Amino acid sequence: MVNLTSAAGLVALLHEDNAEIQIYALQSLLQQVDLFWPEISEAVTKIEELYEDELFKQRQLAALLASKIYYHLGEYDESLSFALGAESLFDISKSSEFVDTIIAKGIDKYISLRRQQMDQSQTSAVVIDKRIEQVVEKMFTRCFNDKEYKQAIGIALESFRLDVVENAINQVKDTTEKIKILKWVLTTVLEIVQNLEFRNKVLRLLANFYHTQTEPDYDSVCQCYIHLNDFAACAELLKSLVEKDEFHKLVAYQLAFDLEENATQEFLSKVLGSLPASQIQAVTSTAADSDAMEVDNNETQPLLSESNKNISPQDSAFNKIRKIISGESALESKNSVYHNAITFANAFMNCGTTSDEFLRQNLEWLSRATHWTKFSATAALGVIHKGQIEKGKDLLSPYLPKDGVSGSAYCEGGALFALGLVNANHGAGVVEYLVKSLKDATDETVQAGACLGLGVAGMATDDDDVYESLKNVLFSDSAVAGESAGLAMGLVMLGTASAKAVDEMIQYAHETQHEKIIRGLAVGISMIMYGREVEADVLIEQLSLDKDPVLRYGGIYTVAMAYSGTGSNKAIRRLLHVAVSDVSDDVRRAAVTAIGFVLFRTPKQVPKVVQLLSESYNPHVRYGAALALGISCAGTGFKDALDLLDPMIKDPVDFVRQGALIAMAMILIQHNEVLTPKVKEVRKLYETVIGDKHGEVMAKFGAVLGQGLIDAGGRNVTVSLNSRNGHNSMPSIVGMALFTQYWYWYPLTHFLSLSFQPTGLIGLNGNLEIPKFTCTSNAKPSLFAYPPPTKVKEVEVVEKVATAVLSTTAKAKSRQKKSDKEKGAVDMDVKKAPKKKEESSETLENLARICPLQAQYVTFDKDARYVPVKKGAVEGIILMNDRTPNEPVELISSSQPANAVEATSATSTVTATPASAGTVSAAGNEPAPPAPFEYTED
Amino acid sequence: MSEVLVLQSANACIALITRAVDENEQRLIARALRNTATFRHKLDRTILTKLVVENVSSTFKQTFLNNLKAMDTSEDTTVESVSKKYILSVDYYLGYLILLFQHDSKEISIEFSTYLAQSIPKANKRELDLIAAKVYFYHYRNLELSSNKEFWINARGSLLAAHRTATLRQDYESQAVLINLLLRNYLSTNHYDLADKLVSKTQFPEQAANNQLARYNYYLGRIKAIQLDYTSSNKYLLQAMRKALVTKATSGFQQAVNKVAIIVQLLMGEIPERNVFRQPMLKNSLVPYLKITSAVRVGDLHLFQEALGKFTSEFQRDKTFTLILRLRHNVIKAGIRMLSLSYSRISLRDTCLKLQLDSEEDAEYVVGKAIRDGVVDAVINHEKGYMKSKENVDIYSTNEPQNAFHQRISFCLNLHNESVQAMRFPMNAHKKDLAVLNDLIEEEKKLVNEIANEEDDAEF
Repeated sequence: MVNLTSAAGLVALLHEDNAEIQIYALQSLLQQVDLFWPEISEAVTKIEELYEDELFKQRQLAALLASKIYYHLGEYDESLSFALGAESLFDISKSSEFVDTIIAKGIDKYISLRRQQMDQSQTSAVVIDKRIEQVVEKMFTRCFNDKEYKQAIGIALESFRLDVVENAINQVKDTTEKIKILKWVLTTVLEIVQNLEFRNKVLRLLANFYHTQTEPDYDSVCQCYIHLNDFAACAELLKSLVEKDEFHKLVAYQLAFDLEENATQEFLSKVLGSLPASQIQAVTSTAADSDAMEVDNNETQPLLSESNKNISPQDSAFNKIRKIISGESALESKNSVYHNAITFANAFMNCGTTSDEFLRQNLEWLSRATHWTKFSATAALGVIHKGQIEKGKDLLSPYLPKDGVSGSAYCEGGALFALGLVNANHGAGVVEYLVKSLKDATDETVQAGACLGLGVAGMATDDDDVYESLKNVLFSDSAVAGESAGLAMGLVMLGTASAKAVDEMIQYAHETQHEKIIRGLAVGISMIMYGREVEADVLIEQLSLDKDPVLRYGGIYTVAMAYSGTGSNKAIRRLLHVAVSDVSDDVRRAAVTAIGFVLFRTPKQVPKVVQLLSESYNPHVRYGAALALGISCAGTGFKDALDLLDPMIKDPVDFVRQGALIAMAMILIQHNEVLTPKVKEVRKLYETVIGDKHGEVMAKFGAVLGQGLIDAGGRNVTVSLNSRNGHNSMPSIVGMALFTQYWYWYPLTHFLSLSFQPTGLIGLNGNLEIPKFTCTSNAKPSLFAYPPPTKVKEVEVVEKVATAVLSTTAKAKSRQKKSDKEKGAVDMDVKKAPKKKEESSETLENLARICPLQAQYVTFDKDARYVPVKKGAVEGIILMNDRTPNEPVELISSSQPANAVEATSATSTVTATPASAGTVSAAGNEPAPPAPFEYTED
Repeated sequence: MSEVLVLQSANACIALITRAVDENEQRLIARALRNTATFRHKLDRTILTKLVVENVSSTFKQTFLNNLKAMDTSEDTTVESVSKKYILSVDYYLGYLILLFQHDSKEISIEFSTYLAQSIPKANKRELDLIAAKVYFYHYRNLELSSNKEFWINARGSLLAAHRTATLRQDYESQAVLINLLLRNYLSTNHYDLADKLVSKTQFPEQAANNQLARYNYYLGRIKAIQLDYTSSNKYLLQAMRKALVTKATSGFQQAVNKVAIIVQLLMGEIPERNVFRQPMLKNSLVPYLKITSAVRVGDLHLFQEALGKFTSEFQRDKTFTLILRLRHNVIKAGIRMLSLSYSRISLRDTCLKLQLDSEEDAEYVVGKAIRDGVVDAVINHEKGYMKSKENVDIYSTNEPQNAFHQRISFCLNLHNESVQAMRFPMNAHKKDLAVLNDLIEEEKKLVNEIANEEDDAEF
């Protein structure tokens, strides 16, 4: 048998009439098939016939042979179906290439069938072959036997088999192993499973599992609840935690902070509502703590940027702007666009720092603002005081509309918008006031401001009253107010996918004549569909087929919002198609920009995707590519992205340059030249563009904005669409999307402030005080130092020549020193920085600034007194467990001299109240609000 | 080339492979393998030992050194202490170098090649694909060269299994090599039928290298020739000749292809051009075929028999003997055609004499057959016993020339398109031009600015 040279004889036996001979032939052929398949495959029809012959006894034998032949021929589908026909003869427990391949194909087929089943539940139901199911089932048991739970769960998740997921988790006996598996399932589900319905089912299942555990991973549980929108369970969890011991109380606080950061307002308010008020008094004051926390949180938030110890060297940036304004530079303040740009730049630089010193010092300059510039300028106050919820209204009171007194409408509108920004996403306190102002307002400018304010403050509240009052404004059919109302309606219903709202808005968009209103509505609609993924498909289809380009534009933004951060192939395909095929430039631009939103989780991919688009003949597409890069690679300093942007800076079309300049700033935010050498060049570029006497207005606008952005938030914030624990950050994404609308209306630029995320570490103890402790950053300090504000070059020279000093350089150095001294206190810090040998790590104290890229290097001491409650977190607000609670606590009271010259005059001292009270009140030397300035109308 | 130079180029190849693995670029591995040809004959024990000690991870080191019969195994213990990142591809590359060395120095070790060929598919790494193809080739070549013929014939099972694995993993290079090896294996035992079935059931990967494609075409040509399909056989053989490189290294292949091609052309009734036999690379080996060709050309059966008798052993070795036996008819046909061209009318008797046939009757049958086959355009007058040729048609009055031209033009166009497709353009090469353009734009802008400045100044 071994030296058989041809299987022709055996094949001939198949054609015999005698069944026994045929069976013998089949058996022999099965042994020889690997060697003689090219020959045997000639007879495959005969073998199939044998299989189909009901009377033939050994049909399975024929099926197995046919399966093997088709496998050799590369026809795996056929092979699979025959292998299934072979039933028991096809032994999946045997490990051979044939079996492995067929099983892999079987699983693929099963997954795709299950997917079809899930997709088209209404149309003809897809029937899954029972036998495939058996094979997959057998595979699951095999996985369980081999303890390959992750494999089993992976297949189960892809094929929507909830029961198997449950079974698999149940099988895990070891508790630590189980915790790991649960965590893994949670991240996998959130990242990979696109079907919302199934995802929720799995999350529910996970939550149940967590319930049964004695000491679950509370962080994960909480995330489950947020995604499930299950406020009652969440409140229950908080309550039960608070009722346990001290440590769990800390955990509850930490959860409260995370909730505040990640969940929508609606969710938060419902959680607050579910926390029983009566119990607050009854069951100690602990519950109140967590309750109060969520409110007080808002106060602590600004602390991040305020009380950072190394208060930023933003002075010089101001100096520059001041210079610009005083006319030394080429910018003339008469041009309203420049005026706008400077206002925005200033606002961003100071975002959340409560440093309105610039505005106060330049009252005269501000008073020159006219019309909408005035609107922007006043609204800028809101950006500056972002997060100052308690004080916001007082600060703005001089500009807010008052009964009986009619001030400037632009000023009042701007103030209302500012109030919204101050209370962004925490609007409980001001919504009522804003609704009232909206109703009282008659001027459309004031209405516009109030609408925007309402939208920002009441973001994602799903509040019907607010929605109705906005609708009334919309129906007045005034272009300016209508646009704002459209946007605000979207913001209020953010992420609800409310069919009623969408219908009304589309209908009105078709009725109205005003393009502005249509645009407002279109973008508003996209907001409603935020994060709904597949659910939005119908709407996207409808909008992108509309004959009105503005609505198609809305359709594209719907894709961006619904699929933001998912990296969905379907969405990308649609966007790329529109980007090259739509007839309207606006739509194409939006489509390219939207790629940035969809792919922001995988920034490395974006340069590849938009590379060709960035060289498009169409300037709108190029601009879109620039923004897409900026949005997706924000804060990464990613070199490929910068390389793509480089040529665009010299683009012949002004607005492409503008986009490139802004995108550069977004990418390079919080980078210094040690980390990314490019920064130096870019900063210089901004200066030259601004200083260029004959430069085009648009490009200059971009440069000024870029300069503001790169130093945003006193260099203590970054632009990021991800929240700290790696999920989509809703306000950031929405803020960024609205920021891109500045193309049509400059005041919308302010929305970018929503995407700013403070980067820093704030450790709190059980009493929500700020204890002193340290952690280590295992990276060179210079890598993440504050970028030196001015004269970067000279400082570097000093560093380099330190070894061999020539007399001339020495002279130059001394001269430099002199000049440096004159530059004031801020530069002094910089000069100290360059040392001969840098240490490889530095010690950070509580309230330190930690860049996102730095986070991976930061570690806490294992045996220090304070240990973080949440593992692995080094950024944001972290509750620290005090291991020796009886020792005296050393607290940081952030108090800086209220020196007017210092940029950071704004301080807020936290006076820690005793633990029993459990609240933090921000009572400090707040700077006096700027003297109300009068606008002189001209 | 001195030892240092060989070491240098070998290290350059290793560096290329390391880079290829880092950047995931198969192209670089292909380049490294190509460059290997420049120094493969200069490899010796000391060089290889040095390379192995420096670059091979501990898993393979001992086996490799044993196979090199390296003396100084003590050295490796000292070097090993240096922690270095070993790359699997480099390991196998050096294994391949050792195979090459053994092959060139006729010190074949089947155990070693088997070990390599069996361990490579287990690694299941895509970056190994190209090296795996080479390893397969030399492994089976070793089997073929071994004294025990059974090894080579029994290799079919493992070849088929390896081919299956390569197909499943979409390892195109190995697929191509393995298909060729299978065909070679079948043809070596004259299993043309099996070979044909294999060809019809498998797909030769398009991505495979040209030299594998040339080989494949050669085997196809031989199969088709045996199956009497001379036209397609000729087509394949022509392709094989075109795809193969014409260098000293490929002279063996050139000779083999040309031998079959000449016979196939003769069988098709064409006479190969004289200059084929004059090429220096082919001149000596084609002498027997030149004799056969001239016999067929003049239609001299006697000459033909003489040549056949004289060179039988050569033809049998080339496996062209059966094909040449079929040529007898062609010699006769060629003779008849010559007669029909030279004489407008010739008696069957004279034909019989000229063609050295046995009888006039035979001549009548042979001529009749030739007329029916369309070899000559003539009629036989049976009563008077002569063959009368018809007037030659003017071929230029037909569509023939046009068709011929069309064929050539489309061939040229195809060749052009294929070569354009095969070109590689480095990424972002166009940016250089863009930079120049941008500079120009900048300059222009400056100029405009200056003019504008001047105008501004002039206003005051």
